[in-house]
This record gives sequence, C-alpha cells and structure tokens, in this order.
Amino acid sequence: MILDLHTHSIKSDDGRAKVQNYCQWIRAREIPIDGFVLTEHRQYDATSDYSSLASEFGLCILKGSEVETEYGHVLVFGVTDALLATFDFSDIRLPLQRVVEACAAHGAIPVPCHPGRKRVGMQAHVGEFGVPEGVRIVEIYNGGSRAREDEIAQTMADDLGYLGIGGSDAHIVSHIGRCATRFPATISNTPELVEALRAEDFEALTFKT
Amino acid sequence: MDIEALKEEFLNKDFDEQSFDVDADDIVNFALACGEIAPRYTDPSHPDFQAPPTFASSFHAGRRMPEGFPKIPGLGMDGGKASSLKHPIRPGVRLVGRTHLHDIYTKTGRSGPMTFLVMRMEIYDPDGVQLATADTSVVIRERPGK
Repeated sequence: MILDLHTHSIKSDDGRAKVQNYCQWIRAREIPIDGFVLTEHRQYDATSDYSSLASEFGLCILKGSEVETEYGHVLVFGVTDALLATFDFSDIRLPLQRVVEACAAHGAIPVPCHPGRKRVGMQAHVGEFGVPEGVRIVEIYNGGSRAREDEIAQTMADDLGYLGIGGSDAHIVSHIGRCATRFPATISNTPELVEALRAEDFEALTFKT
Repeated sequence: MDIEALKEEFLNKDFDEQSFDVDADDIVNFALACGEIAPRYTDPSHPDFQAPPTFASSFHAGRRMPEGFPKIPGLGMDGGKASSLKHPIRPGVRLVGRTHLHDIYTKTGRSGPMTFLVMRMEIYDPDGVQLATADTSVVIRERPGK
C-alpha cells in the first residue's frame, strides 16, 4: 500500500487544495497512491470528516500534523486528544525533545520533514544543537524540496541510521503523490499507520521528474 | 513580540470604514482584466450582471493597520489576498467596507521566522446584508543576516 504521508489542504494557511480535489486528481490522473495523510501546519484538524470522500474514491485519508521546532518542521502521526493537551501545536518554537517525549508518551510518531532544507530542516540545526534523541524516522523524499535538499536528507539519514519516508508536501492539487511511502500491509486508520511506522518496514518513494 | 497579547488587544475590532460606489464600468473593467468572458460579468445588459467573485479584493481600507498597533521589526511584504462571496455584488449601490485585524500568526520557512497579519474587510450593502469578505495578508520576515 502506498500513502503520501505529507499533504496540506485549505485548512493550512498556505494550502490551496480541497481534499475532494486531491481525490479527484488522484483518480483522474491515475496517481499511483492508495491514500494520503493531511498534515496541516501547526494544528491538528480534529473536526473534518473525510470518510465519505474516502469511500467515494476508494482512498485512505488520514490526519496528522506538522509542527515547528528548533530543529525545523516535524510531522506527527497518531495525534490524540491526550497528545494535543501536552503542547501548543501552534507554537513555532517547540523544543523537539518535548515533541519527541510527548509522542513517545502518547503512542505517536514524530518525523522531521524536509530535513535537508535551510532553516526549516533538521540537518541545518544538528551542528548547533547536536543529534536529537528519540528520532528514528525522517522524510528523505519531499515533493517540495529541491534535489540537493533531498540529497542532504538522504545523506543525513544514512549517517545517523534513520529510516526514511516520502511525502509530497502538496499544497496544491497537482502536487499530490509526488513522493510517497510504500507499506507491505494494508492501512485503513491512524493506529494502523502508527503501527506500520513503528514496525519500521516501509520504503520511501519518489515520483518527481 | 508577544503574539497572544497582540491578538488580545487588536483582533476582531473594526478600525476602518469606507464607502464604495460600484458602477457597471468598474465591474466590466475588473472582469476583463481578470480574463473573464462570461457575459454575466462583462455585459451590463445581462439579466444577472454582477461582479466576478474576486471583485471584493479590489476594495482598499483607509488605514492599513489599527491605530496604536506596534511596528513589528523585519521586512514587510504582501502576503496575498483571499475573498469570499456570500451574495452577488451588483452595480448602482453604495457599499460599506468595515475592516478589522482578523488573525495574527507566525510560521517558519526557508527564509526564517515570519509573522502574518490578516486584515479582513467585511462588505455590506445598504440594507446591512454582508455580501463578501476580503482578506489582505501582510507578511513580515526577519531581515536577512539575522
């Protein structure tokens, strides 16, 4: 099963895509993914219900978040009410260690995203802050990153022994599915996604041309 | 900069009110500039003649920011516009636009930390019916080298 693990809808301040339009695009253009995770910036969208769209288009639509730390941006999979209560998702200066520890305490998975990017990527801050504890997975293919930035991410992952995922970081409809992650098992809900990430059996994919 | 304190003091309080007289030429010129070809936007004789949905974003407030709003250090630039149409805007009426600071938020990008200020103009017809909203965002980013 292939999921795009990093997407933004109009719920994000800079997102320009409606979820329905993502679904239509995936089917109309035969994008080779089975679903996607909405990782809205600095928030968790607890209210939107995309189950009818998921049924209509035969796609898995899940929700996570993208928060901001001193190491750059971090995807969070497995957000729960309890996790939401532990830190302010809108804070752009979250300590990564706090996010990592909160995720560990509440069964979520933190994944530093586009780690090769200047300022908002983890690699740019490792020299200053050191290698963070508790990170197991980083995003090595990001649909919005430049080629050199993905290379930096992959090198960092190799050097530090991280596993890699892929996500498009789509903000507009036509960018969905540019990068994704293949899992051996079928995933139909967030706990299954968390379990699959925890099993550390997945492969980052890029379809960027 | 304490964003929460700024929100507490300035958010959702009207700080400007302007009147706008919209005539058919304004609408046609705007529509043509946008590349519209639908007659309801370009032909004043059309029975459903009205302004294109983004027309509301062409209105400007008299003040850019609420009185007393502090200067946020950095480089300011246009952060984009967004409009939402609730009812058609038609010519021949005097509209009123009331503006308030709708949101303040921060984010980090490749260029570093940024603060976004979102001004929202609510546009009303003479009967007090809200026709549209038009958001104007200003983004203030850190000066390079910081």
